[in-house]
Amino acid sequence: MSFKMEEKIISKDDLLKLCGDVIAKGHTLLAPGIAEYEQVKDVSQIRLDSSALPTKTSYKSYVFPKAEPILYYKRSKSDVQLIDVDVNGKKIVVLGAKPCDTNSINILKHLFNWDYEDEFFNLRQKHFVIIGLMCSSFDEYCFCTSVGSSPVSEEGSDLFLIPINEDKFALRIITEKGKEFIEPYSEFLKDGDEAKSNAVLESIKKPEVAFDSKQVHEWLGDNFENPKWEGIGNVCLSCAQCAFVCPVCHCFDLVDEDYSYSEGRRMKNWDGCQFGHFTLHASGHNPRDIQSKRYRQRVNHKFRYYVDKFGEILCTGCGRCSRGCPVSIDIKEIVSNCKD
Amino acid sequence: MPHLAEIREIIDESPDTRTFRLMFKDAGTAESFDFKAGQFAEYSAFGDGESTFCIASSPTRKDLIECSFKVYGKVTQSLQRLNVGDTIGIRGPYGNWFPLDELKGKNLLFIAGGIGLAPVRCVIENVLDKREDYKNVSIVYGARSVSDLIYKQEIREWKSRTDVSVIVTVDPGGETPGWDGEVGFVPAVIEKSAPTSENTAVILCGPPVMIKFTMPVLTNLGFKDEDVYTTLENRMKCGLGKCGRCNIGNVYVCKDGPVFTYAQIKKLPQEF
Ligand SMILES: Cc1cc2nc3c(=O)[nH]c(=O)nc-3n(C[C@H](O)[C@H](O)[C@H](O)COP(=O)(O)OP(=O)(O)OC[C@H]3O[C@@H](n4cnc5c(N)ncnc54)[C@H](O)[C@@H]3O)c2cc1C
Ligand code: SF4
Ligand code: SF4
Ligand code: FES
Repeated sequence: MSFKMEEKIISKDDLLKLCGDVIAKGHTLLAPGIAEYEQVKDVSQIRLDSSALPTKTSYKSYVFPKAEPILYYKRSKSDVQLIDVDVNGKKIVVLGAKPCDTNSINILKHLFNWDYEDEFFNLRQKHFVIIGLMCSSFDEYCFCTSVGSSPVSEEGSDLFLIPINEDKFALRIITEKGKEFIEPYSEFLKDGDEAKSNAVLESIKKPEVAFDSKQVHEWLGDNFENPKWEGIGNVCLSCAQCAFVCPVCHCFDLVDEDYSYSEGRRMKNWDGCQFGHFTLHASGHNPRDIQSKRYRQRVNHKFRYYVDKFGEILCTGCGRCSRGCPVSIDIKEIVSNCKD
Repeated sequence: MPHLAEIREIIDESPDTRTFRLMFKDAGTAESFDFKAGQFAEYSAFGDGESTFCIASSPTRKDLIECSFKVYGKVTQSLQRLNVGDTIGIRGPYGNWFPLDELKGKNLLFIAGGIGLAPVRCVIENVLDKREDYKNVSIVYGARSVSDLIYKQEIREWKSRTDVSVIVTVDPGGETPGWDGEVGFVPAVIEKSAPTSENTAVILCGPPVMIKFTMPVLTNLGFKDEDVYTTLENRMKCGLGKCGRCNIGNVYVCKDGPVFTYAQIKKLPQEF
């Protein structure tokens, strides 16, 4: 934890060479593409554009897949045989991760490790190396600065890139994992000037703080019942798009999937708390029977319950859920409105 | 990974409720599977999924694990199709339990409605196996009709004991010509029998309406909310505090429950 940050310089060409080597070694290299983090097959695909807005989805699915088998079963007459799933913890390097994505795995670690440790999540995240990239632009949906982060946050990155000019980056070694990763490439690194890259970070325009998360936390505690929820519930479609694009939403379902008469697998699939059937009991009773209660759950879970349980807000301020919402529900606006 | 268990016996409790008596296939698991009264497990019908049921047998009688389930949807229908000798999966035990150690030296009043007798039965048998630790033990059990009463065999056993008082009631209209129990809703029957609240803890499980109408009766009789223990049933999947569906506010029923006192429940956001 108490790793001392090291400041280096790397040229863009050398960075691309490094990427080429990662691919050649057979590791998975992910980088922001047009709509999502894409697997880079050729370094010419790499853009490293600090002014790009967040992709439609994050790289969450690489650590917590949309659908994954957690066990296989075989049935014969009255007997059942269970077969373990072998999670292949392949090394994944994320290049140019947005600061609103880099901390997502750290936030999720709490959930997947309290009490019971989720081996699938843990094995995958252990093999992740995250190379963050400072972010130099934002739109009306961004609000990282309201949830304790910022476009220049190194939180969650193992290595962090700051563009110094057209063909040079400051490279900060943030964690032990990052240091281990970069060591073989030390020939590409020169000593950097921390003051100079700090000046770049300071010059970046950041979204204005939209709300005080502590006040929101308090307001939510006092306003479980409030007509505001009903207003939102009337607009929301319960489509759960917002959950599926979110870097930190983590609800899942467990279902069995037969693929022959005698064989099948148990799947852990993404689910969303905005669906009506999410909490529906077999008896027909549903504790969150109307959309206003489900949206209230979404906001409370992110800005109150998760904070109470794990000390972190379950939101990185990336604005993805708002950008993609078919009926223009803007979470920043809603949370800013969580006051009297 | 679920443990595999063989169905040793099937008991049809009522037209829609069935009990399985289960034996772990692995002797080591049978030995080490340790639970307390009130805990639940996830039972698999491979191919159709998992369902949450309480462990209905008492931890003091560990030879066979029992669960009773009401047939509703996909998983419970699939379980219903299984026969003696078939294999199911069990994950658990999960959740908290009734604080039986703290209740030592008290009178215990058990109130159950319908399938709600399943979690209560586990506690009753646990208490009866350690009878000397508790003072008076009374049981009030109600169901819609005579045929809906579950655990008829166990009830007969309890009734045959002199150190337990048992009242069984059916809703008006649910009686049969030979019915020798009470007729009336559970809250009314309790009001009539007027149990003492002095040094008494209540264990109350049943459908939400029954709980709703029983609570004021108990309050009138002088019972405090802290002395009434009940269970919450929220839809569950993982049982491990991760899948995100069983929470009421920041309380995860699968981890912090299912056993709560009525005083705790009153403080929760009213969303269950
Ligand atoms: C702590 C706890 C203890 C319970 N104990 C018992 C018991 O001893 N006996 C009994 O008959 N019932 C019990 N229930 C309720 C029981 O879990 C549901 O009735 C059962 O899962 C319905 O499954 P299904 O396949 O018939 O329904 P479907 O509607 O087909 O259900 C599909 C899935 O939904 C989930 N589900 C649906 N309703 C519920 C519910 N009310 N609670 C939890 N999960 C649900 C199940 O995971 C199931 O896999 C308990 C529930 C909880 C939470
Ligand atoms: S994306 Fe918008 S409409 Fe869909 S569930 Fe989320 S808030 Fe509601
Ligand atoms: S809730 Fe919306 S803004 Fe917050 S992290 Fe999820 S997608 Fe981004
Ligand atoms: S059952 Fe999954 S969180 Fe409680």
